[in-house]
Amino acid sequence: MAEEYITEGMLDMFIFESEQLLEEIENLALNHKDDECFDDAAINEIFRAMHTIKGSSGIMMYTNITMVSHALEDVFYYIRESDNKKVPQNELVDHMLKVSDFIHEELDKIKNGEDADGDPEELITEVEIFLDGIKKNITETGNDLPPEKEYVPPKQYYIAPVASEDSKFYTIHITYDKSTEMCNIRAYNAVYSLKEVAEDLQYFPDDIITNEKSSDVILENGFKMGLQTKSEVDEIMELIGRGIGVENIEINQCSADQFLNFCTEVREEEQIVLNTTPALEPMPPKEEEPVLVTAGDIAKQVKKNAETKVIGKGKPSKKQETQSFISVNIKKMDELMELMGEIVIAEAVVLQNPDLAVPGLDLTNFHKAAAQLSKITTELQESIMTMRMMPLKNTFQKMNRIVYDVSRKLGKEIELEIIGEETEVDKNIIEHISDPLMHLIRNSVDHGIETPQDRKKNGKDPKGKIILEAKNEGGKVWIIVRDDGKGMSREAILEKARDNGLLEKPEKEYSDKEVFAFVTKPGFSTKKEVTEYSGRGVGMDVVVKNIQDIGGSLDIESEWGKGSTMILKIPLTLAIIDGITFSVGKTNFVIATNSVKEFIQVEKEQMIVEPEGDEYVMIRGECFPVIRLNEFYDIKGAKENAEDGIMVIIEHEGETVCALADQLIGEQEIVVKPIPNYIKKVRGISGCTQLGDGSISLIIDPGTLVG
Amino acid sequence: MKILIAEDDFASRKFMLRFLSKYGECDITVDGLEAVDAFLMALDADEGYDLVCLDIMMPALDGYQALKAIRDIEKERGIPEDKGAKIIMTTALNEGRNVMKAFELGCVAYAGKPIDQEKFESLLKKLELI
Repeated sequence: MAEEYITEGMLDMFIFESEQLLEEIENLALNHKDDECFDDAAINEIFRAMHTIKGSSGIMMYTNITMVSHALEDVFYYIRESDNKKVPQNELVDHMLKVSDFIHEELDKIKNGEDADGDPEELITEVEIFLDGIKKNITETGNDLPPEKEYVPPKQYYIAPVASEDSKFYTIHITYDKSTEMCNIRAYNAVYSLKEVAEDLQYFPDDIITNEKSSDVILENGFKMGLQTKSEVDEIMELIGRGIGVENIEINQCSADQFLNFCTEVREEEQIVLNTTPALEPMPPKEEEPVLVTAGDIAKQVKKNAETKVIGKGKPSKKQETQSFISVNIKKMDELMELMGEIVIAEAVVLQNPDLAVPGLDLTNFHKAAAQLSKITTELQESIMTMRMMPLKNTFQKMNRIVYDVSRKLGKEIELEIIGEETEVDKNIIEHISDPLMHLIRNSVDHGIETPQDRKKNGKDPKGKIILEAKNEGGKVWIIVRDDGKGMSREAILEKARDNGLLEKPEKEYSDKEVFAFVTKPGFSTKKEVTEYSGRGVGMDVVVKNIQDIGGSLDIESEWGKGSTMILKIPLTLAIIDGITFSVGKTNFVIATNSVKEFIQVEKEQMIVEPEGDEYVMIRGECFPVIRLNEFYDIKGAKENAEDGIMVIIEHEGETVCALADQLIGEQEIVVKPIPNYIKKVRGISGCTQLGDGSISLIIDPGTLVG
Repeated sequence: MKILIAEDDFASRKFMLRFLSKYGECDITVDGLEAVDAFLMALDADEGYDLVCLDIMMPALDGYQALKAIRDIEKERGIPEDKGAKIIMTTALNEGRNVMKAFELGCVAYAGKPIDQEKFESLLKKLELI
């Protein structure tokens, strides 16, 4: 590898590389699990991967990983030499996955700063027994065993630094009695006493030894230290001790980030203070750098806090794609996205500037330029969007493994078909759907698909089938999990719902969709017994919550005896949407364009008011509930008569509701910003945005408004 | 065994000295230049070092330069590779390229700071120093 590419830490590199190799192996294993044997290319690939992991883990001194990968490498070494058709494929795949799991687990431990202390003995014995079988195969066919491969220990080693994960950060503030003399020396005593335990120590003013003037600064402002150590507060207190003249010692624990902030902030502040105290004599040249803080320590600090996540991680391995990639820190991408949002707002501010409203102003050229600007910002936004898009491939392939594991444990035979794995969604969204999707798949395998016996009895193919599909539809990505299992029983769910007191209207009035939606309520499970994988009733509600958090929804369809379908609809992206702005009184609202069905001006005769106060509007023979936003949010000065305003017909997942607006303002791209924490959650509002004239507009969440 | 520690930072120096004293006789230098001198001196007296621990960021001569100088001296004196001193880099620099560079220059191990004592010990065993 060329030198300039290795910018990550040695340990990160090792983990990243190993994980990629493991993923490759796992995919190979799963792709070939139903074949008679691995083809030569696959065998070589696996051999090479194991060899690499063995080598690098040897250098890194993770002996257990080295031993396990060595064992598996050996297996493939002999398979390569033997007639590999005689190797039981099932067992082989099983061993591969176990080895990969073991290494994964150890890597996770390393990542979390724990010791990679997993005991490999059992696994190795297992693999060796398997290997003996292969060796026997070779000798039985009359061939000689290929020469034993000897394990050559690496010539060079790398010892990763002990993880300082559990070291704590403190800020320490010592003030001295005003009459204390030479308190810079006293301060240095404190520094000195902490050096024993400190992993990192910064103190301000930092020239206490060489600059006598610093004594005055300390008297004035106190002496401040930032300390990284494994010690507890008491220990630190004891080390510093209550020297003469010490007025007060304040020790606060803080996070790593706060520690860094503290260090930079205080340093700046101190510099100002020191600069304003004119030095009477020229400062003596510094003879020594502060002893304890080597540049390396600081570099390490920064490194640890910097996000090391790279977008490129999820990309398919290099071999499949010959295009060149660069990996970008996801933080930078988020920053870019945020800036883009600001540009969209700024553009609106310019184009809708009230200064332009001067009568008789010739704006022809302005409008031309404005159109050009709009076009470019839209393109820019789209290209940033596509940069953040990643195919669902990796997420989907993980599901392969889950189906394999769970179905084997439960003694079911299941085929997973994957459609549309190249569909792309925003990176942030991928991270959010992985867990819910895993849960849905597990559910299908566990509850959906019946045992082979039951399936035969019902005249079905004993092999169950789950289809995982992704597609783009209407500005959203649909992810569909469909199984051909036993489906869900409307009666069983209704019964359970009745027991839990969830029914709000007569049972007959519930549509199938509404009935199945009960499954997503907390604590709801129709499964009588609990299995290892599902049935505890925790889960579906969490799944739905996770999906709603990213603005998605879950639809459940099911037919008893035929199977169920779960449809996840998730937005392509989170940040910028097309919206329609309208006002109610003096308040502006925005609603996503694709949830508005139409606008209509209604006559008085179309309004229906029920005795208990519910209001409906009759449009073309259909009756829709009306929400008066002014009453809903207690807005003064809005139009009271329905015929003066305009009805916004909002559709959300088949439900329709009409909101009464005073007037429409326009359509524009809006940048979704979360509502600040200090405002409590308001029903029907999902966020806010800034309009062109600088005013704030609330974004309506049709989901909660309709519901 | 004879051990040479090159380390400019006092706290690290003290730590290394305390940690390695139990395995052998330790000499200490505070920069790379001194380390190379000490190494030469020991060779001349015919009691070369078995283990050399080099910090990377040091004044006068940094760890890489010292490492290279020591390996050159060994080559020049006709000391075969497997008889040479075992050199371990001890440093807070943990980026891959630093490690690779040190490997290329011929160190036998690279230990990131703060040093994992347990691993360091097992490394010494692997190198058959203890």
